[in-house]
Amino acid sequence: MDPAPAIDVRDLRKTYRTPFARKKVEALRGVTFAVEPGTIYGFVGPNGAGKTTTIRTMMGLIRPTGGSVKILGHAIPSRAARFKVGFLPESPYFYDYLTVAELLDLTGRLFGLSHAERTKRADELIDRVGLGRARAQSLKKFSKGMLQRAGLAQALMNDPEVVVLDEPMSGLDPIGRKEVRDLILELREKKKTVFFSSHILTDIEAIADHVAIIARGSLSAQGTPAELIQKSALGVDVTVRIAADVAVDDLTAGATHVRRTGDELSLTLAADADVDAWLAKSRERGARVIAVAPRHETLEDLFLRRIASADASGEATEGRV
Amino acid sequence: MLGRIWAIALNTFREAARIKVLYGLLVLVFGANFLALVLGAMSYHEDVRVAQDIGLAGMSLFGSLTAILLGLFLLYNEVQKRTVHAIVSKPIARWEFVVGKWLGMALVLSVLVGLFALAMVLMLAFQGAGMSMALVKATLLAWLEVLTVAAIAIFFSSFSTPFLAGIFSLAMWVLGRVTPEIVDATRAASSWIRVTAHVALEIVPDLSLMSPSGRGDVTIHSDFVSWGYVVCSAGHGVGWIIGLLALACLLFARRDFV
Repeated sequence: MDPAPAIDVRDLRKTYRTPFARKKVEALRGVTFAVEPGTIYGFVGPNGAGKTTTIRTMMGLIRPTGGSVKILGHAIPSRAARFKVGFLPESPYFYDYLTVAELLDLTGRLFGLSHAERTKRADELIDRVGLGRARAQSLKKFSKGMLQRAGLAQALMNDPEVVVLDEPMSGLDPIGRKEVRDLILELREKKKTVFFSSHILTDIEAIADHVAIIARGSLSAQGTPAELIQKSALGVDVTVRIAADVAVDDLTAGATHVRRTGDELSLTLAADADVDAWLAKSRERGARVIAVAPRHETLEDLFLRRIASADASGEATEGRV
Repeated sequence: MLGRIWAIALNTFREAARIKVLYGLLVLVFGANFLALVLGAMSYHEDVRVAQDIGLAGMSLFGSLTAILLGLFLLYNEVQKRTVHAIVSKPIARWEFVVGKWLGMALVLSVLVGLFALAMVLMLAFQGAGMSMALVKATLLAWLEVLTVAAIAIFFSSFSTPFLAGIFSLAMWVLGRVTPEIVDATRAASSWIRVTAHVALEIVPDLSLMSPSGRGDVTIHSDFVSWGYVVCSAGHGVGWIIGLLALACLLFARRDFV
């Protein structure tokens, strides 16, 4: 029997009304997903798709118009659920007059931790997120990346079973992003459940066990990356070295992603193209083959395909209205 | 529960203590007390009376204005700056958050009223007068008024913008202060005006109960109110504080933090 989901979101709906015109705006249109315990769940979508609304509803910041959210079996916004959850808001805003240690102390107090527990945990987390040197600085002097790290530390203060991170890589440099990825992987090793949203698809593809794509307030795809991404080759990437003065028009005909820099020619042939014939033809022009590799779909390709499809169906629906 | 409320209160105290306007107000109150020295010197043997009147009026006026200012911005800023997101997602009930904010404000306002009282006592000591029991009662009543005004401001800022909440809070404070005058003024008016005024005053805390000096025969300088009156006024103030905070908690609990 499958274990009970760590996060269980069912038919979540949220409708806003504009202040004066009272026009209905459907931010969420029946979002349903379940996150298995001990896994990393990546949540992607374009701006305004409903990612942050979903997360804020999961955290009890927004009351849903319909549907339900359960975390570890407890309905949101129950206190029992929030005791076991760590949350990093999008572009976190904290009291800027506090130091990171004071922020963690305040967070620990809200979880009812003793003074000794708060001090010990804060010291560990400050070092873990790499803010040891900034321990005595007020948050006002923190860069965006440092604030993000402080936010991660406060999200982990209660040693949560479920961690919800809204855009945790936002504002971080490549080193910071890698550290956050490592931190998320470390949480999974400790059997924690991590739910995070991101715009950075390579990050999601690299670490998420499950992915959901949200567009226009509803999920357009969800599953493991392997389930979602087409396994069949989309084309064949070829790179050859060929003299810069040799004409290649007939070689590039029908190819995509064509790029010629100096004596190097790169392009993508169609999946059903006769690669051997193409290579033979290029060799006749004195070309030397550098690389030939099948091109598979990436999460980015899937994302763009799904978003385009959601946009098309959304426009069609709006057209009917 | 108490630990969480106290955590929010302490944080609010720390936040309010950083508002530079408060230090300006302190200077203003000390300046007003110094002015009382000058005015007292210009009066005919009324220097102590002037110092007491100005000291108490400053406490009530500046204390209440500070309460409105803090009440408007401390809660609104939490929502506007989204600092509330990282707090109410923790295991704290929204009512605990609102009560914690008020308690933190009450701590700041208590310190301020204490400093205002200290300034008044220093001026009186300079003039060779001491602190009378009437002054202690008047100070306690002014403190209660300030805490009630803080609850009014918190109530309005739980659902409104600082501008509107400021207008509503000021209006409620002024109406509460002039309750007896409104009753007197409408005594000879037509019945519907009397009824309207009566209904309006029922939904406003009677803050005049907390500044009785100068009303009728009651005066801080001779025949002031009894301790029984202070306790009854305190009951009125505490009742309104609880009622206003309960409403603020209900409204705040229904808000979406987008």
